[in-house]
Amino acid sequence: MQREAAAIRETWLGKALSTRPAGRPAAEAAISGLYRLIGLPPPRFHWVSSPAKGLATVPPGTRAWESIDRLTEWPVPRRLSTLAATLRHELDARLRPRGRPFDQIVRRTTYFPLQRSVTSTLVPPLNAAHESPVHRRTWYDTLSVAWIAEYDALRRAAGAVFTGEQRRLLALWTAATTSCGWWWPREDTCVVSERPVALHTEVWGENGEVRPHREDGPAVRYADGWDLHAWHGMPVPAWVITDPSVRRIADEPNVEVRRCAIEHMGWPAYVDQAGLRLVATAPDPGNPGCELRLYDMRAGTRVLLAVNGSQERDGHRRRYGLTVPAFDDPIAAAGWTYGLSAEHYSLLQRRT
Amino acid sequence: MTVTLATLTRRTGLTVLDHLEQSVRIPVVDGLQAQGDLIVIPLTMLAGSVRAALHTAWRPVPPAGVELLRGEAGGNPHTLVADPGTCLWTTQVADPDHLAIGMFEARAAVYLLHPEHGGTGCAPGTYVVRRQREREGPRMRLVAD
Repeated sequence: MQREAAAIRETWLGKALSTRPAGRPAAEAAISGLYRLIGLPPPRFHWVSSPAKGLATVPPGTRAWESIDRLTEWPVPRRLSTLAATLRHELDARLRPRGRPFDQIVRRTTYFPLQRSVTSTLVPPLNAAHESPVHRRTWYDTLSVAWIAEYDALRRAAGAVFTGEQRRLLALWTAATTSCGWWWPREDTCVVSERPVALHTEVWGENGEVRPHREDGPAVRYADGWDLHAWHGMPVPAWVITDPSVRRIADEPNVEVRRCAIEHMGWPAYVDQAGLRLVATAPDPGNPGCELRLYDMRAGTRVLLAVNGSQERDGHRRRYGLTVPAFDDPIAAAGWTYGLSAEHYSLLQRRT
Repeated sequence: MTVTLATLTRRTGLTVLDHLEQSVRIPVVDGLQAQGDLIVIPLTMLAGSVRAALHTAWRPVPPAGVELLRGEAGGNPHTLVADPGTCLWTTQVADPDHLAIGMFEARAAVYLLHPEHGGTGCAPGTYVVRRQREREGPRMRLVAD
């Protein structure tokens, strides 16, 4: 059953991270259907090429209180979120008995991984467009496929039985969240974004969670050129990916961004090009023929360059850097990374 | 019995990268040893600072092994492998440095298996397994290779 739920999750992940053009008629029909359910006539639709355009687009006739910076106060997203929350509540009530281990497994296998994948992949472009972190995310959570996928999996893999009306509502939300990108519903108008045209991710979690990552270009790109660069899930300025340099790294105030840029350059290249001062070297205990090299990096921080204990496929051994407090002895620095004294670390018998 | 990477992959169903030597006996070490970002420390070395939590539930290591830690991207796990009935393990460890992720008690040689780092053996004894950390300025982070 868990395998079945995982398969269902993968299908939903594919839908959530689709790079195909929006299915505009299906999206408009579904969104109109949701408007009707909260007692409003279908809105006029404004299609845009990216979330950045979506946030910048102010359809004619927009009321002052429906400006994008007051999104959390807009009535339509709030009512639609309530509609979704009510549906979830009613679907939960159909699960009998409550809290079956079964249902918990399905939730763990579908909802959480999908929510994490959407949050790390599709929310960062939104954050960048909002020019501030999306703190109050109720509306964007409503548009995440994670909750819809969970009930789909409960029905298909765990035998939950929903009414025809409930299934119709789920189908409406499915179409409204998988036929297009993010959307911003005002009372008379709805701005809908296309999906990205390119999305590069890597799997990082035990439950198939993905995050954006690309070494040679933007990880997320929309048709109008709006894009996002990311290094192993961390959104970074474009230079980190396209042109990491020692000077830019030195000027970068954010330690995480610096680390991503250095990892992209490779530690040995960075140490070399930055001309870091060699503090000391020592034979690497447990790693015969290899050396630990300690360099001065910046105030209070040194970098320990070490060599992998096992070979890469091409026979060479990877060198990697670890940032450490200001030790003078490479063995003490290496020991510290594992919470050991120099005396203890020097007893290391084997490194693989 | 001579234990090789081939023996361990057959026993657990886990695989390692094919450029690693499959048929050489895996050395068994009775002291401190490291596998990538993980280190195995004889408990005696840390006695007085690290210990199993009170009322710790020690569990037997199952035939398929126990995943001690999984690398971030790509998800390569460090797996502890033991013959049935020879090893107990727990994650309930009190460590003032907050680096310990587990502790195991081996009555026969047990093995650590990793797809990229290969295999290594631990002689009978009690060991603490710790992760690796780094620090830049005030920011501490755990290494995930």
